[in-house]
Amino acid sequence: MNPFALAYRERQQLFIFDRTYILGTFLKVGGLATLLSRFIVQFFWNPTVALVLTLLSLALSAYMTWAIVRKSRNDWSVFSLCVIPSLFIGASLSDNSLHFDYFTAILLVQAGLLIYKGIKSHRTLWGVLLTIILYFTAGSAAVIFAISAAVPDSWRHSRLDRESHFPWTLLSIVAVALCGIVSYALALVPTWSEAFTPALYYDLDASLPVMHWAGWVTLSLVVICAGLAKPVPSKGWITVVSRIALLGVLFVPASKFSKKIEEKQPSLAYVFEHYAANEDWDGLVKSCGKAPWLPRTANYLNMALAWKGELSERLLEYDQRGPQSLVMTTKDRAVDVAQAHLMFTMGNVAAAQDVAFNSLSSLQGFCPDMVKLNAQVELMRGSYEVADKYLSLLEKAPRYRKWARKYRGFIFNDDAVEADPLLGNGRRNLAAENSFIMYTDPMSELFPILDVNPKDERALEYGLCYLLLAKDLNSVKRFITDYYSSPESPELPRIAQEAMVFYSEYSRNMEGIEPFGLDWCYEHGVKPETVKRFEEYQRAAVAGPVSLKKFRGTYWYYLVHTEI
Amino acid sequence: MKRILTTAISFAALALSFSCSGVPEGASQIAEEAPIFPDYKEVTVPENIAPLNFSYLGEGKAVLLAGDNVIKSCHGVFKFGGRKWRKLISEGKESGKVQFSLSVKKDGKWLSYKPFNIYFSQDKIDPWLSYRLIPPGYQGWQEMGIYQRNLESYSEEAILTNDLTGGNCMNCHTFLKGDPSKMVFHARSAFGGTIVVDEGEIEKLNTKTDSTISALVYPYWHPSGDYVAFSVNKTFQAFHNHDPNRIEVYDEASDVVVYNVNTKEIAWSPLTRTEDRFETFPTFSPDGKWLYFCSAEAVSPMPDKYRKARYGLYRIAFNAEDMSFGDTLECVYDAPADSASVSFPRISPDGRFLCFTRHGYGNFSIWHKDADLWLVDLTDGSLKPMEKVNSDDVESFHTWSSDGKWLVFSSRRDDGLYTKPYFTHIDADGNAGKPFLLPQKNPLAYYKRLMQSYNLPAFTTGKVKISRRKLVDVLRKSPGTDVQAR
Repeated sequence: MNPFALAYRERQQLFIFDRTYILGTFLKVGGLATLLSRFIVQFFWNPTVALVLTLLSLALSAYMTWAIVRKSRNDWSVFSLCVIPSLFIGASLSDNSLHFDYFTAILLVQAGLLIYKGIKSHRTLWGVLLTIILYFTAGSAAVIFAISAAVPDSWRHSRLDRESHFPWTLLSIVAVALCGIVSYALALVPTWSEAFTPALYYDLDASLPVMHWAGWVTLSLVVICAGLAKPVPSKGWITVVSRIALLGVLFVPASKFSKKIEEKQPSLAYVFEHYAANEDWDGLVKSCGKAPWLPRTANYLNMALAWKGELSERLLEYDQRGPQSLVMTTKDRAVDVAQAHLMFTMGNVAAAQDVAFNSLSSLQGFCPDMVKLNAQVELMRGSYEVADKYLSLLEKAPRYRKWARKYRGFIFNDDAVEADPLLGNGRRNLAAENSFIMYTDPMSELFPILDVNPKDERALEYGLCYLLLAKDLNSVKRFITDYYSSPESPELPRIAQEAMVFYSEYSRNMEGIEPFGLDWCYEHGVKPETVKRFEEYQRAAVAGPVSLKKFRGTYWYYLVHTEI
Repeated sequence: MKRILTTAISFAALALSFSCSGVPEGASQIAEEAPIFPDYKEVTVPENIAPLNFSYLGEGKAVLLAGDNVIKSCHGVFKFGGRKWRKLISEGKESGKVQFSLSVKKDGKWLSYKPFNIYFSQDKIDPWLSYRLIPPGYQGWQEMGIYQRNLESYSEEAILTNDLTGGNCMNCHTFLKGDPSKMVFHARSAFGGTIVVDEGEIEKLNTKTDSTISALVYPYWHPSGDYVAFSVNKTFQAFHNHDPNRIEVYDEASDVVVYNVNTKEIAWSPLTRTEDRFETFPTFSPDGKWLYFCSAEAVSPMPDKYRKARYGLYRIAFNAEDMSFGDTLECVYDAPADSASVSFPRISPDGRFLCFTRHGYGNFSIWHKDADLWLVDLTDGSLKPMEKVNSDDVESFHTWSSDGKWLVFSSRRDDGLYTKPYFTHIDADGNAGKPFLLPQKNPLAYYKRLMQSYNLPAFTTGKVKISRRKLVDVLRKSPGTDVQAR
């Protein structure tokens, strides 16, 4: 079970403490299960807490299964079998398309079974009542309850009372069937699948993997078998060992299933999103540094470096593969949280909002990061009424209340917005000449931003690094002339110095390029030690690959040895 | 308990301290207007509207004198219970208006804001309003649906929500003269198609033909119910980097066609389907003899020249007997000559007035801050802006009530992004009253919490009673009937 995948669930919902949200969620088929799950998942912002809470809940589920089984068979050796459903439920939770309600619905069903098993009289009536209540509060998982309650009772009934013609306890199954039919007829669920299967808890109209039935089936089987099977004569430790062995045998398919699901999940993205959302840039650099050659990983890595103010300084410490390492351009900007973060980091706040607005909500509610980002951009725009709307929403979620209250202070306070490093910078960037977003390449949008706000250090670094990674030295030279030539300009980053020294050397032999010498370089921030190191590099290049090793991390090495 | 008693005693004392003029004893009258939301000051409302609850936006304890009734606020909200509201209506019916006086206690002194009136019209409003609730987003949505709201109460229910149809987009719901049993709307992407509802019968149509550039888009029913005019559009949208109009929705091509409900054919005139013009937003006249639409000189390439696309208002004769068109096109309003553009022409049921949205360029006015409503008197062709209705922000889509006495329109005046429905009374001379916002139990809390826009508000004379299950099943299961070009 990937704790970051669990934590990502929190990034896909916002538990809002207000009547509209609570009632709106509750008044749906399985509403209580959804509410419970969202309540629990709101604490998943920390992966360790997410894992611990999930494991504790799974342990509770196993214990509840045992408590149900114990009502029919008080035999501790059976306990190991009661762990089996939790094993499969845990495996299913690796699939983030399966909502956490799947699990809370099962917990509610188990609670229902516990109550039912404790009832001594009018069990048929109670069975039917509990089935109906469970159907509308827990959803289609009530099927587990109906079957697990009715089958053992009917069996016992038919054995004890052979005169009776109808096993009335089967009415629970009739009740659940009727509930499903009513839900379908009233269009409370889209299809029959949602009415009776775990599809209710799966992403809308996505195909439910068969293995998600495992938790349902094993739970029903364990409860039914405990109620039906004759007690096996106890053989002491042999029985216990055999049952533990069975558990071990079942652990294999469960873990295989879990792995199979995890392979299909964007596991790395879960990790990156966690660090990005929590602005833990060191953590993000560390987690991305393991495979920086993947474009999306490199995007996150470079984003973290940019927020740390180390992008150009440390860019070539990592394996960069062209400008795509900085920003992957994508045609589909409908739902892409990463792209929103990236655009925001680059200073292209309008583009960030374009993506963030489309990612504002998921199937499980509002995405808190995107609500936050939209609130920030609205403050930058001066659209205070809309910012107020988003902040009010965040204030109703305990985890985000403090953040929202901090930003509330900016509403209708232009001076404060302009003085704030982040919001003020964004507002200055929005003053760029108008254009449509993402029509060409990221640089075409960065240039107008830098024209109005050359002090945006992150935008400046992104612009320079983009051109450097694209090996477009002519544009790098122009960029340096435009943005690094004034007395207020920041120091020219080392890799840009290296690029210009290289370019000045080779410009003399290249056709179509106006030659320029070291004088230009010195005038534009190149230091003498860079020139000296370039001479060393040239000697090492003649000497062979081994001598070049120490020049890894220089722009010269990237230029010559990296294919883009 | 002590606190409750103290509060009760305070209110009793307060009620007793009211003088005959209706303000607390010793209250100083100030010239400021009462800061309330929604702004119901001096609005004209129908007598069958739900109570117009509102919030006081200032600080301090506030009491309201509504006619002869003292209303206390509950968490800052003045709520009119059913009986109180009915009493106010009956007072308003007699004198035509009810006066409201809001007093607040600040620094131990009572201050009374400038009193205001709410005017009650005896022209009843159609009791139901249908609309789409959708995030005012740009491309994405997770939740959207077509809903209906009883205007005489606060009751709202879904006609169809997209969680039942794979999260797809649904749009352009339109009724025949406000008849809730005759409806058309589109569903897109998964389970897509055009749905035509006729007296409980539901049919799904596949409306893309080889002869047209797209599936059918913006609809308008012919008064006979036998035809629906549609546009077909190649529509795109782009996000501005920095412009008060955040989004630009534009057409690269568009035509106007008419669909025959009985034969399932579509037809057009060479004048409604031209290469060198964009034709869109068709509307039939109430007598069914004219087809109005917006038309602009085609500009290319888009979106580079999006500001050059300006639509004028045209009409062409239509013969419902044989589904034929006239030979000439009449220009009703040459908006481009005024450096303007027109969208959403809608004619009052008596055929006298035509209301349209006027803005600087393009056709998708909901994203244009300068978009305002204008009215043409079709008897003499004169036109004027609806000044009492318009605001500094967007006014856009609108529909007439079945008797033509009320107009509902979309506006972004409150926050610049989330569209809300406003209603205005139109008198016999086409003069509009000050519009009022759709009432809610607690409007301030409701609208602040609402993360969706009210889109395409449309009156209906009764409740839409289509089976949601039937709708879903038709959308999900029916392959749909192919529409043919004639």
